[in-house]
Amino acid sequence: MTRAPERSRPAPPTPSPAQAVGRPLDRVDGPAKTAGLARYTADHHVPDLAHAALVHATVARGRITGLDTADAEAVGGVLAVLTHHNAPRMTPPAPVSALDLSTLAPGTTVDYLNTDRVHWNGQPVAVVVADSPDTARQAARLVRVTYEVEPAVTDFAAAQDDAVPLRGTLLVLGEERTGDAERALATAPVVVDHRYTTPAQSHHAMEPHATVAVWNGDRLTVHEGSQDVDWARRHLARRFGVPLAGVRVLSPHVGGGFGGKAPVWAGTVLTVLAARATGRAVRMVLSREDVIRTVGGRTPTVQRVALGAQRDGTLTALLHTGVSQVGRVGGTPEPVGSQSRHLYAAPHIWIRHSTTTLDVLPTAHMRAPGEAVGTFALESAVDELAVALGMDPVELRMRNEPDRDPLDGKRFSRRDLRAAYARGAERFGWAERTPSPRSMRDGHWLVGRGVATAFHLPVRLPADVTVRLRADGTVLVRCAFHEIGVGAATAQTQVAADALGVPVEAVTVEHGDTELPVGPQAGGSGQTASVATALLEACEELKRSVLALARRSPSSPLRGRRLSELRAGRGGLYRADAPDRGETYGVILTRAGRAEIEVRTAAGTRLGRTLQQARAAAGWFRDRRRWVRAVTGAHFCEVRVDEHTGEVRVSRWLGVFDVGRVVNPKTATSQLRGGIVMGIGAALSEETLVDPRTGRTVNPGLAEYHVPVQADLPRIEVDYLDEPDPTTPLGLLGVGEVGITGVAAAVANAVHHATGVRVRDLPVTLDRLL
Amino acid sequence: MEFLQPATWEEALEARAASRDAVPIAGGTDVMVGINFGRLRPALLLDLTRVPELQQWGTDDGAVRLGAGVPYARVITELGDRLPGLAMAARTIGSPQIRNRGTVGGNLATASPAGDAHPALLAAGAEVEVASVRGTRRIPVADFYRGVKRSALADDELVAAVRIPPRTGPQQYSKIGTRNAMVIAVAAFGLALHPDRRAVGTGIGSAAPTPRRAPAAEEFLAGELDGLWESRAELPPATAARFGELVAGAAAPIDDVRGTARYRVHALSVMARRTLTWAWADYRKGDPACA
Repeated sequence: MTRAPERSRPAPPTPSPAQAVGRPLDRVDGPAKTAGLARYTADHHVPDLAHAALVHATVARGRITGLDTADAEAVGGVLAVLTHHNAPRMTPPAPVSALDLSTLAPGTTVDYLNTDRVHWNGQPVAVVVADSPDTARQAARLVRVTYEVEPAVTDFAAAQDDAVPLRGTLLVLGEERTGDAERALATAPVVVDHRYTTPAQSHHAMEPHATVAVWNGDRLTVHEGSQDVDWARRHLARRFGVPLAGVRVLSPHVGGGFGGKAPVWAGTVLTVLAARATGRAVRMVLSREDVIRTVGGRTPTVQRVALGAQRDGTLTALLHTGVSQVGRVGGTPEPVGSQSRHLYAAPHIWIRHSTTTLDVLPTAHMRAPGEAVGTFALESAVDELAVALGMDPVELRMRNEPDRDPLDGKRFSRRDLRAAYARGAERFGWAERTPSPRSMRDGHWLVGRGVATAFHLPVRLPADVTVRLRADGTVLVRCAFHEIGVGAATAQTQVAADALGVPVEAVTVEHGDTELPVGPQAGGSGQTASVATALLEACEELKRSVLALARRSPSSPLRGRRLSELRAGRGGLYRADAPDRGETYGVILTRAGRAEIEVRTAAGTRLGRTLQQARAAAGWFRDRRRWVRAVTGAHFCEVRVDEHTGEVRVSRWLGVFDVGRVVNPKTATSQLRGGIVMGIGAALSEETLVDPRTGRTVNPGLAEYHVPVQADLPRIEVDYLDEPDPTTPLGLLGVGEVGITGVAAAVANAVHHATGVRVRDLPVTLDRLL
Repeated sequence: MEFLQPATWEEALEARAASRDAVPIAGGTDVMVGINFGRLRPALLLDLTRVPELQQWGTDDGAVRLGAGVPYARVITELGDRLPGLAMAARTIGSPQIRNRGTVGGNLATASPAGDAHPALLAAGAEVEVASVRGTRRIPVADFYRGVKRSALADDELVAAVRIPPRTGPQQYSKIGTRNAMVIAVAAFGLALHPDRRAVGTGIGSAAPTPRRAPAAEEFLAGELDGLWESRAELPPATAARFGELVAGAAAPIDDVRGTARYRVHALSVMARRTLTWAWADYRKGDPACA
């Protein structure tokens, strides 16, 4: 099934077998985290630390007309109450540019506390700085604000009619089509054509957003839970008008991100501002409510999916259109049709995205933006078509599995969804399912089984690394990538160990600090593969340098050898044709009188970085023209629905994924399983509720915003094809986001099979099933 | 904010009498949420956790006298045999941490219509023992709830204990939430069969401004069970269905973010029918041998 397209570059070095990559190693940060030694942002204590708390606007749109801060200032221990009257001026955020992705950092154009304008209900309008967090919070409640209220658009349902189609850009997916889908639909013998909706969702990483800011003159040090320390550094340098080189952002451990910690939100900027204004080091740890009111989440969507098919199940037309919401002062549309461009071999396809603009908190990326909610609509519709055709939903999907990209005929770099479904069906016992709804039961539990396809397009970003090899045989890898909980450092430890032929115990990886070479964002499922690409290059360069040292010595068994004739292993370089001939790195370095040797990928200088980015961008476009590089998977879900109360229990889950090579099956499985859990939450309970009259979120906390608990989850089985992608170094693609895609559809499809009730509006709540 | 920590019950009652706007706190599972969310900013917190009497339970005059400060976890482990309905309710509450902290006394003092203990207390026919420096009085639990988060407690009174008759027949409890644990009830129902006095007890949660009984359903079922108590014969399905309808008819729910009023009414009829079916099956198996 898999074809190997021509390679874009010489074959990467393949580590010898029986190595670290591919093994389910324990996380390198496991002991520190289980012992409580890993310091997250809020754990950083610096001398003379003050604490800040936010005051949120209570109207959706308008102007601040009065600010009474006297009561707050009178609270003992309060150092300052900052408002737009007294806050230091900042440089406004830079306009968004595709040439400098760090301009995406703020997520909004609002110039916090430098303006009297209010753009959403919850926008920070004041910051209290005090000796303790409790004092700051208490005083924040005493700040009284009056507003001149202006009319606001806050109801997504009502604003859908004003949606405007998006024009595609480098950063935004617009309209795409092949053939004439509407005509094909009109003449198709079998048609399903439905409207699906998904609600707004809020970011609820386990670690709330937190910042510690310390100024020393014009030098700024920031501890920050971040998915992009480089963005944070650049944005803060701009906002505060200080040299980039003087800004350091540290983020060694992050308690979950999911996209919510890639932008630099108000909490970060205002902590730095508070430290600037008070001359104190300041820490601000957002409450759950602060997070919900100031950190953009997932847009609600309304989508139409229409499928036309022959009676044998051959798809003739696929339409997928969707409306998402952005804030008037920023926001990212959700490309709900992303997967619909690539999943089914329909000759006529029409994808269109529209946005509607509201006076609300800007929407932002959340795990698999586009595909997470887009697959709910598409994969529900495919299930509906299977029911209309009286056909097995797996068989229908396999009948329409494309050999090439349905939109433009590009090749897939690899795609073996057939194998994923075949393995999943076998393991799950899909054949035992009786097709009719309400045909399987266990007492008063109606049992249903559903499938859905997972799909995601991992990105590739530039990365810069240094690798240092010491005479004692240890290795230090340095790169400002991000450990947001996924095992990123563990994966790079494995990659470096194999590339240099040293044990994993010999490798240390430093990350999450802008003093280190610039790494990629922990986003787009691209971090591991992006860093690994640079790391492999650096390791090659390092071995070349070591060999150059060895070749100078008449006594070296490597004298006169080329690197291509050697293998890295046993802590050194050995001849491929005579594996006992060679020597350890320690011997080579010691003989050369070197304590260590270090290499850095090209981007050490500004010019180097520009060249590297240009090369990476060029490579990305070239790859995009050449093939579709996607990861896919097959979800199998069993639910039990109480016949009389509508309670849904997910009772079994199996996901079989085609994600290229898996660096570490233990951490990758956790990540995919986490995605499935998040998808089950989206399917059954998660929903940010906004009062349409005021634009205020009414469930800003985990007591009313229900994420799944253990009792809602079955044992979740995860399996991989584990075949390398032939177009990437080590065959890596990306596993961070694909897990959540398709999950809600698999649940809804299983619920339909159990009950005969088709729910097209998430979440699938009890009352919708009666 | 002032913080008082009386060491004896007398001190606690005096402190209560002296500062009537004080907020008593035991497990803190309601009060601390209120404080953390900024909904509650009491001038004085009256911590009752050091009062030994509140941490105890015993039997008194045939009833279990459950000190107001006994946490749910102990209700489950120590009283599951005598107060099965309340223990079942306690198992549905929060997480293990919450069950270690939260108390039935606190549930009563908060008097939320969604409090999980209330349906079980109503069904069992409990009495709330409240005290002040003026003395002690007992209030039938059905008269205790006076409105949304309002109770019959006077502003100088504290909940001392709740007195619950041990079971003489099967008890059941059922709760529906928007997820399977750590959730506020969309609706809940408690049922107790009292073969000793040929009576039936019910309790409805989360489906009216206060927790409440379903008197018409109780009377109907007691009538239908006349004769069946002795014969332990099968219960006609129509009886269970009618019982469900009458329970649902006693509710007065609203639509809110957790569920619709219609759903709540429906769910109550299902829970009432189910709990009755389970309880009667237990009774027919001779559980318990009512002496």
